[in-house]
Amino acid sequence: MSRLVVSNMSINRAELPVVTAVDLVAESGAISVVLGANGAGKTTLLEGLSGIIPVAGGTIAIDGRELQKARPGARSREGLAHVEQGRTVFRQLTTEENLRVSLHPGADIAEAYALFPELVQRRAVKASLLSGGEQQMLVIARALLTRPKVLLIDEMSAGLAPVIVTRLMTAVRKLADGGLAVVLVEQFAALALSIGNRAYVMRRGRAVYDGDCAKLRQSPDELHRLYLGGAESAVPA
Amino acid sequence: MNALLTSAVAGLTAGGTYALLGVCAVFTYRLVAVVNFTGAAIGTAGTFVLIALFEAGFPIWPSVLAGIAAGTLTGVAIGYIMTRWFGEASASTKAAVTVALLVGLIAVGLRLTGGQHPHNMPDLFPGSAFRLAGVEVTIASVLTIGLAVLFTILSDLFLNRTKIGLNLRALADRPMAAELLGVRVQLLSLLVWGMTGAFTTFALMIIAPQRSPNFMTLSLLVVPALAAALIGVFRSFWWTLAGGIALGIVEGLASSIDSVSQYRSAIPFLVVLAVLLWSQREARWDEAR
Repeated sequence: MSRLVVSNMSINRAELPVVTAVDLVAESGAISVVLGANGAGKTTLLEGLSGIIPVAGGTIAIDGRELQKARPGARSREGLAHVEQGRTVFRQLTTEENLRVSLHPGADIAEAYALFPELVQRRAVKASLLSGGEQQMLVIARALLTRPKVLLIDEMSAGLAPVIVTRLMTAVRKLADGGLAVVLVEQFAALALSIGNRAYVMRRGRAVYDGDCAKLRQSPDELHRLYLGGAESAVPA
Repeated sequence: MNALLTSAVAGLTAGGTYALLGVCAVFTYRLVAVVNFTGAAIGTAGTFVLIALFEAGFPIWPSVLAGIAAGTLTGVAIGYIMTRWFGEASASTKAAVTVALLVGLIAVGLRLTGGQHPHNMPDLFPGSAFRLAGVEVTIASVLTIGLAVLFTILSDLFLNRTKIGLNLRALADRPMAAELLGVRVQLLSLLVWGMTGAFTTFALMIIAPQRSPNFMTLSLLVVPALAAALIGVFRSFWWTLAGGIALGIVEGLASSIDSVSQYRSAIPFLVVLAVLLWSQREARWDEAR
């Protein structure tokens, strides 16, 4: 059982606060969904967690080990995997080579192909020539082979057909059911809430909701209010 | 005719060195995304360690090893600066930083080595390897070209057949994505800088006796090296290798023609200009449409 605990985290970009005093928890077997309008600070939050950008304050801990001062590579070796937005495949490498780069000594490439059998036939194809959906599958499978405890996924549905998005969501749910702690940043709110356990809604860098996914899914009006404003009091005291 | 052939063959040693320095430049650019203007200066630093030890009476081959070690360490030190402080900078910023470092290295190098003061540079491989159409081909020529070919083959094999090579190719494509997967980006980058430092140093040790062995002259061998790399469009090791050797041969031929001999050092500049103009031809057509 692994647990990511983020406390009072603040992140600045160009000295302007983008994420302010955010608390977040992700646990093995569960998906923590992070929602919010464009510019709410969701991607910055994930980039701060994985170490792409430094945090201005607060702590990040996996199973009690604090990581906020570690470099991205060290955080990865501690079990934090980050699937960035924009499908960051290694373009000049084949599908299989992409997978081999991340292959942890205790992992097997067959696990990646078991999760996404679509990639088997594309194993010798350069990643730049894969479709958008295949590239997204590849970056998720690649992250899986680092043997992570916590998987951060940023906007995996961007620019993809709904049928592919549903396919990816199913795979992510499967990963969580297998014991991973997942933090999923997503624009497709309804779909993300349908597979998630715990939801966070961010607005202007702050978490304005921290609660159950099912509850939020049943209250589209509340979700709408959280996105657009006037609901700061929704955060439990 | 024989005079021309003699001149062309005389250019082979320089050609081999340009090729090796050029291949090292492509290696550095492809793997750590830096157009490295300090390439030859790094090798020069190692070469002058050899000269200092040799002049102090140390035996030659241990001095060569110490020089290569010094060149490797200089390469790693420059690499540390580039990866630690400029890892996320743009390619043009990185290139500008290496130009600044080159100026600094030359200034310090000239100060420490006594400026234009002549040095007793040992000729590591004197003599002739074989005769080609009646012209002596020196061991130094064969060795520099051999070293350049070896480095090219090893680079290809290393990048395509090993896990470290695979990680380096990933690093070259997307450094942050590679680091997020736990690839030891800084260590691998320093490995690239160290490897190119070692090979460059050995190449310069071979060519130094044929040049004016002062820190500035040897450091500026980076110009023909980058011209060779440009022929390979900073991508192809084999085209860079061929370009470097051709550049040396053309320089050798130019030295035998009195009217152009004094301008032969401008040849790399003309090659750079020609390659850049050639590479821009489609852009000009596009603009014309």
